[in-house]
Amino acid sequence: MRFQDAARDARAVVYAGIQADPLVARVASLLADATVGERWLARAVMNGERTDPAGWRRIFPTLLGVAAPAEARDHAEQLLAACLQVANRGEQARSSYRGAVVEDLTARLLARRSASVRRERRVLFDGVPAEIHPYDVTVEADGKPEVYDCKWGARGINADVLNQLDDARAHSADDDVALHVAIVVFDARRSCELRLSRSTARHDDTALVALEGIESLSKVGR
Amino acid sequence: MTCGGKHGSLLQGRIGYAWGVTERAQVAERAAVAYEALAELAETVEDEWQYVTDLVDAYLPSIRALGTTPAGGAGSISPEAEAAVDESIAEIELIADPHKAIDWLSTFPHVIALALGGDVDAPAAAEEPGGAAATGDSPPEPDEYSPFRVLRGGR
Repeated sequence: MRFQDAARDARAVVYAGIQADPLVARVASLLADATVGERWLARAVMNGERTDPAGWRRIFPTLLGVAAPAEARDHAEQLLAACLQVANRGEQARSSYRGAVVEDLTARLLARRSASVRRERRVLFDGVPAEIHPYDVTVEADGKPEVYDCKWGARGINADVLNQLDDARAHSADDDVALHVAIVVFDARRSCELRLSRSTARHDDTALVALEGIESLSKVGR
Repeated sequence: MTCGGKHGSLLQGRIGYAWGVTERAQVAERAAVAYEALAELAETVEDEWQYVTDLVDAYLPSIRALGTTPAGGAGSISPEAEAAVDESIAEIELIADPHKAIDWLSTFPHVIALALGGDVDAPAAAEEPGGAAATGDSPPEPDEYSPFRVLRGGR
């Protein structure tokens, strides 16, 4: 097996512009050090209807209220401000921004334990037609390759994604390579499990990294 | 679906109040009623009917359980917590897009759990354990999920 840069079509070029927006990096950077509660704040705000920060402060008093420790409140305020900037981009754009944030967050956390993190890469196998869609994030360390597909919500879990991940794992196994495949979802583990429980696509060997445990990406041992 | 209906739940809440249920239970019930209304909007996405049903079956009892299993044993909650729940309800009442409603069916229970203190990730006491767990990485220990741990300073 081998990794390869994905060819860029028109959609990918547009999306690359969003991925490169400093706002994406800012939100992802704040989320990389966020508590679980702050991750729920980010998900709610970037999914939200209102863009008035006062309303969100009332919804999350334990994070943004006067009783919250000053340092933690400052971090939560920075996250709120950044997420509101995403929300203010409008319904069409915010969907792309949210996806880009999850990818960037995943790459940042993985980079804490590996220098071999790449984005938008395909996995090729001799004699096997290449998949159309690249993987969002890969770790291309010798002997311990990993591929990650990133989703904003549990609804993004579908048969196509699961099949592509499992096919890559199976083809790698045929090449005697243990490819770690995972789906990273910025949503509740419980919701993801409900989604997976109805899927007929094989996913027994596909790891799930959900919102509550996303920091595990930075830990060695997968 | 097993939602039961908005008006039925309102009536249930009022009867409960008349019999002296806690303030906490009333607030949780308001959240549950709003959740049911959100589900009614979400289930108009026909392709996602099963997922919506699964979410409601899982989370609605858990939201109600937040009103009956206070972490500290007290029945009352702070004004800030009650305001947080009511603001959250106001937020989801603004949603008109059924696709966004589906997203919030997964988010809203956790926002309410943060406000009231508690956990909506485990089946409520009356629920049967069920649903296939995703395989791969092991789920964190229960306390690793807990918003309380986070709010106590764990990052």
